[in-house]
Amino acid sequence: MPANPSLSLVNRLRILRETQFGAFVPVLLALAAIWGYFGLAMPLWEHLTDPTSDGLRLIFLSPRNIYNLFMQSAVIATLAVGITVVLLLGDIDLSAAATAGVCAALLGVLMLAGVPGWLACLIVMVVGTVMGAAQGLLIAYVGIPSFVVTLAGLLGFQGVMQKILPTGNLNISDPFVRGIARVLIPDLLGILIACALVGLLAFAALRRRAQRAAKGLELDSTTALWGQIGFFTVLVFSAVLTMNAYRSVPLLIVLLIGLTALIGWVTTSTPFGRSIFAVGGNAESARRVGMDVKRIRVAAFGIVGLLAAIGGIFGASRYGSVSYTAFAGGSLLLESIGAAVIGGTSLFGGRGSVWNAILGALVIGSLGNGLDLSGASAADKLMFSGAILLLAVAIDAVSRSDGPGGR
Amino acid sequence: MSQVTDQSAGLLAPPPHLRVRGIHKSFGGVHALRGVDFEVARGEVMALVGDNGAGKSTLMKVLAGAIAADTGDFFLDERPVSVTSPNDATDLGIQIVYQDLALCENLDVAANLSLGNEPVRPGWGFLPRILRPIDDLEMEVKAQKAIARLQVQTLKSVRARVGGLSGGQRQAIAIARAVGAESSVVMLDEPTAALGVAQTRQVLDVVKRLRDTGHAVVYISHNMRDIFEVADRICVLRHGGNVATWRTADTTTDEIVVAMTRGLDQGAPHAS
Ligand SMILES: Nc1ncnc2c1ncn2[C@@H]1O[C@H](COP(=O)(O)OP(=O)(O)OP(=O)(O)O)[C@@H](O)[C@H]1O
Ligand SMILES: [Mg+2]
Repeated sequence: MPANPSLSLVNRLRILRETQFGAFVPVLLALAAIWGYFGLAMPLWEHLTDPTSDGLRLIFLSPRNIYNLFMQSAVIATLAVGITVVLLLGDIDLSAAATAGVCAALLGVLMLAGVPGWLACLIVMVVGTVMGAAQGLLIAYVGIPSFVVTLAGLLGFQGVMQKILPTGNLNISDPFVRGIARVLIPDLLGILIACALVGLLAFAALRRRAQRAAKGLELDSTTALWGQIGFFTVLVFSAVLTMNAYRSVPLLIVLLIGLTALIGWVTTSTPFGRSIFAVGGNAESARRVGMDVKRIRVAAFGIVGLLAAIGGIFGASRYGSVSYTAFAGGSLLLESIGAAVIGGTSLFGGRGSVWNAILGALVIGSLGNGLDLSGASAADKLMFSGAILLLAVAIDAVSRSDGPGGR
Repeated sequence: MSQVTDQSAGLLAPPPHLRVRGIHKSFGGVHALRGVDFEVARGEVMALVGDNGAGKSTLMKVLAGAIAADTGDFFLDERPVSVTSPNDATDLGIQIVYQDLALCENLDVAANLSLGNEPVRPGWGFLPRILRPIDDLEMEVKAQKAIARLQVQTLKSVRARVGGLSGGQRQAIAIARAVGAESSVVMLDEPTAALGVAQTRQVLDVVKRLRDTGHAVVYISHNMRDIFEVADRICVLRHGGNVATWRTADTTTDEIVVAMTRGLDQGAPHAS
């Protein structure tokens, strides 16, 4: 496409969005804005206005804070990845956080009863999958809208969690479960893993390009290819080196990335994932080409349930305890849905990506973290979160090729 | 009515490949099909005509398994078969271009062309088929071939999202999907409604090519000139029932139009 100086900013954004990579742009912009504000603008402002301050203090962008930020966002991100899968279908899951709560509570109670940690984790993962799939059955086969079924799930599972945890709190001390958040990948190994990841991506991209050329298919521009590889390299290495500068890459983050890669691969590169997108785009068309729309729905809700259970395990591991407010009764649900939507996943189905959900979770996590650091009240946090959600979705809406008004 | 069918076409007609008998379909209070008989042979183009709401699309959806008939019998090469789901129809070699096209606008052209039948890479046999990696390069190659056959010159890339294409381009993609698949019956429900002159010609050529390669083709259109050009037989539906079936060579546009709008009782000399 020839460069056209008269293109409006919105049109440029839309052209960008059409590229495979472009879906990341709005959420990355939001992230950059938040990091720039809390990381640079606020400290600079304080430094300039306060003559007694002793030098610039970049607390937000310190390795220690970024490390905490990643850890804080991990539970939201896990749930957001799951919620993205049902959003792709055009459904919603309001019960994910409550499912996570039930699973975390069950985990604590099981281990209290002497079940070994790994077995308890497996059991709650099965329980979470069944809880999700059961809701999926009601949605697909009885035909109740997912909003209603999962709203009932939200209420019911909150009650179940309170039944399991009458005191509302339970400490987790099992070394296996605690280890998920505590174990650190040695610095050197972390860098090796980063090198391997970058090498693998570059190899896959170049081989794919060679295969496309061999089959006579159209090729993406070389700049775009190397731009993507370069961007990915910077992203991976800056993340690993930052975390190494404070402690090391935690196992929790590696598990989260691995899980997201797996779900990302299933949703974009398998017939099952393709059918999720097809159902989200046009369920009747999907049915008419012979896809089993009902089973796909049930499977997708099973996946949210599984990820909610894993989110529950991650949360229990990180907080060292299970409490009602940390899961079912708190803000986890809305933050997870917000993360998925800020990532650019459409509430109407058929468009989105689990990787964007991770970035959306970072946006939400950064916002909370930054406001905490600047001493904002809980009320300020809520209002800011609402504004950011609106802003991110607005950027997404105007930058889509069908423009505002389309879905 | 079946008497008329026999007189006009049945005796001279080739043996049917796909035949249905006594198809009834109601949508709540609307009785859309009232005991329809229909057949199509290999190597012939059977046109299906009728006024708006006559039940043409409903009959096609029943044949394609997209909706299940309330009652009715299906025969393939005179062997009784059952078609209750789209997969049944695909397995019997029945392909269809729906009037509403049934494309997924959020997916690209190549994905739409392989929808529900994505090629997977070899060597992942330990996984169930739906979890094996899609061979998207193969998918694009297939898509390019299918598009090239229809000669949709304006379509630049098979990686374009269908939501951003024109109505005619979408129609061409829906046709390419049905024609590209392994099949013995191809049904096209108003396939040229959104097409330009040149593309309409392409579609008519495709229809003739399908007939010459031994397919059984069902062609629905409101354009009498196209119908008289490609069809071997013309089946007229009215108010969800059969009027009659003519051999194209034995009838005229006027006769068909009268049959479509008024049935046989008035003014149709053929009926007597
Ligand atoms: N899903 C449905 N629900 C209710 N009624 C329907 C449905 N589909 C079709 N009908 C009814 O069945 C009748 C036949 O419709 P159909 O679409 O088969 O007509 P058609 O012959 O294809 O017309 P056209 O030439 O306009 O495409 C109409 O009266 C229509 O209202
Ligand atoms: Mg119709």
